[in-house]
Amino acid sequence: MSTEHVDTTRTETTDGPDGSNGADASAGTPDGSAATDASDLDGEDLVLGYPNAPEPVIDGESIAAEPGAVTALVGPNGSGKSTLLKGLATQISPEDGSVLVDGEDVHSMDTKALARKLGLLSQESTSPNSITVEDLVYHGRYPHRGFFERTTDEDARAVEEAIELAGCGHLRDREVGSLSGGQKQLAWIAMVLAQDTDVLLLDEPTTFLDMHHQMEVMEIIETLRDRSDVTVVVVLHDIEQAARLADRMVALKDGEIRARGAPEEIVTEDLLADVFRVDADVVQTENGPRVTPLRARHED
Amino acid sequence: MSGGGSVAGGAAHRASEGRLGWLFDPKLVTVALASVAVVVVGGLVQVSFGAYSMTVGEAWRAVLDPAVLLDPRWLLNFIVGEGVMRAITGFQGELPELAHETLIVWNIRLPRVLVAAIVGMNLGVSGAIFQAVTRNELASPFILGVSSGAGLMILLTLVVFGGLSAFLPLIAALGGAVAFLIVYAIAWKNGTSPVRLVLAGVIVGTVFNSLQTGLFFFADDIGVVQSAIQWTTGSLTGTDWDQVRMALPWTLAAVALSLAGSRQLNLLLLGEQTAKSLGMSIEKVRFALSGVAVLAAAASIAVAGIVSFVGLIVPHMVRNLVGSDYKRVIVGCLFVGPALMVAADVGARLGMGVITGADSQIPVGIVTGLIGGPYFLYLMRRQQNMGEL
Repeated sequence: MSTEHVDTTRTETTDGPDGSNGADASAGTPDGSAATDASDLDGEDLVLGYPNAPEPVIDGESIAAEPGAVTALVGPNGSGKSTLLKGLATQISPEDGSVLVDGEDVHSMDTKALARKLGLLSQESTSPNSITVEDLVYHGRYPHRGFFERTTDEDARAVEEAIELAGCGHLRDREVGSLSGGQKQLAWIAMVLAQDTDVLLLDEPTTFLDMHHQMEVMEIIETLRDRSDVTVVVVLHDIEQAARLADRMVALKDGEIRARGAPEEIVTEDLLADVFRVDADVVQTENGPRVTPLRARHED
Repeated sequence: MSGGGSVAGGAAHRASEGRLGWLFDPKLVTVALASVAVVVVGGLVQVSFGAYSMTVGEAWRAVLDPAVLLDPRWLLNFIVGEGVMRAITGFQGELPELAHETLIVWNIRLPRVLVAAIVGMNLGVSGAIFQAVTRNELASPFILGVSSGAGLMILLTLVVFGGLSAFLPLIAALGGAVAFLIVYAIAWKNGTSPVRLVLAGVIVGTVFNSLQTGLFFFADDIGVVQSAIQWTTGSLTGTDWDQVRMALPWTLAAVALSLAGSRQLNLLLLGEQTAKSLGMSIEKVRFALSGVAVLAAAASIAVAGIVSFVGLIVPHMVRNLVGSDYKRVIVGCLFVGPALMVAADVGARLGMGVITGADSQIPVGIVTGLIGGPYFLYLMRRQQNMGEL
């Protein structure tokens, strides 16, 4: 289905008044994706910073995530990609601008109602060691339950599906404290999947994992992409991974969006030089572009 | 760590567990039964020995005296007070006479055991909540200024406003609650965080404790100083049914609220970010839960003064025994708290008599401290990882 939207994606290497472009693009989408219930996620003119920093990290950027598709945010360290994701997830309240889910401002939504629409997997998650994987996944149902409500069959079904999709059925009775880093990540992914949201934001889900678990996580995201009923925005450190997974990519540098578009438009030698400051060979293969970094650029 | 067969059975198992299935966790049941045994043994010792000693058999018979247990007028007379009893039953005459032993046990010794149990429950639950709210296993009910606020008000009342000492329990509890609000106000800056709260608690605690110590200088009567020390270390000397009646309603409220909030507590343990992304209004929940914990702590301060260590150790012990699920932790605290407190009060009331032969009592807070210190020494030796400060 992503082909229907290719015309709405464009590469913008300059940061002009592209906010209007992003908003227009998303406003035009409902026709093509009527069959799915995936949500629109728009950030409009976002200014995002941290309380103790004088300058905002992101200063007036707009981003529209394509419904039902996977959008990857890439960029070097400190480019603001995680900050942008946290802004979209309302972990940071924007100093200016707004985040809209299906046209509704997230800051005016009830917190639980929002959590039924929008889920976030943070980079660092902590839990008590003695909690079992299954109990952890059940916490994902929190926004679906009232204050005194017990778990329903629907909760159980959602948890089963999430555990199956995340492939951690064999871990369900294990205590989280006894798991490896990769297994833990699968358990946490199962938890956000159990949240059953229309939008899923993932902050570097593959970082620090071994190859096997990186592939496990990538396969989960690919499944979500193929089902196209969840709008996924994922921050990825590895640009090859991002190109392989994503329908659209957004490249950031110094808090500015430098480029956005399909992976083959983004992963180019020019962009790697501009955004990542490396000289690299890019070869298109059947598994997506292969990037061979040659040397760091020092010409600042 | 069950085998592969459990994968399919997991959901069904959970569904059949039902609303209260988690209560029948074998570890939790064991903890509860052991605690009840300690309370019963400790309680029997307390009602048997003292200035008027009786055998355990006599004490047992006095506790189970049908003249009280089967007479709702006597029971109500003890639990809700004489006035309310007469209002409820419409009974205007004299209550039937009781045996001497029964009178001593029911009027003097049993209420003290009950107050100890109530205080233990409150402190255990309060500590458990604060440990989740601050995400710090070494938090106690008094970490957010409650004890220093109460202590300062106790000293002010005893030393400066002597005329108000009849209201001392209430004033102490209120002082604790106000200090908690001050801590929250200091910690607030577009919201709070566990670290900000703990630091604000240290700030308020330091200042109030200095003022409290300073006030000791103005006490010109050794009796006032002793009374102040009793209140600020925690004592159950002289407690009777009035204290039970004062603390019971607040205790029931605090226990009900903390059980209702146990799912929120579980979520807080996953960290602020996760709780927020799951849709929790984290500031509201944190303040409400802290309020419940302060209510429980204040109820215990009003009847027993500031008993240290119980609120710190009990949740710690319970978590080691039943795991970190807060539904079980809270229920566990309702049993282990009374067990520790009743046992400690045996030492406080009778210990000096056994050791020195003198007929004097020490504040129970001294005994809980003497138990608490070695317990943490044991934990420190055994555990590599104590959680983060």
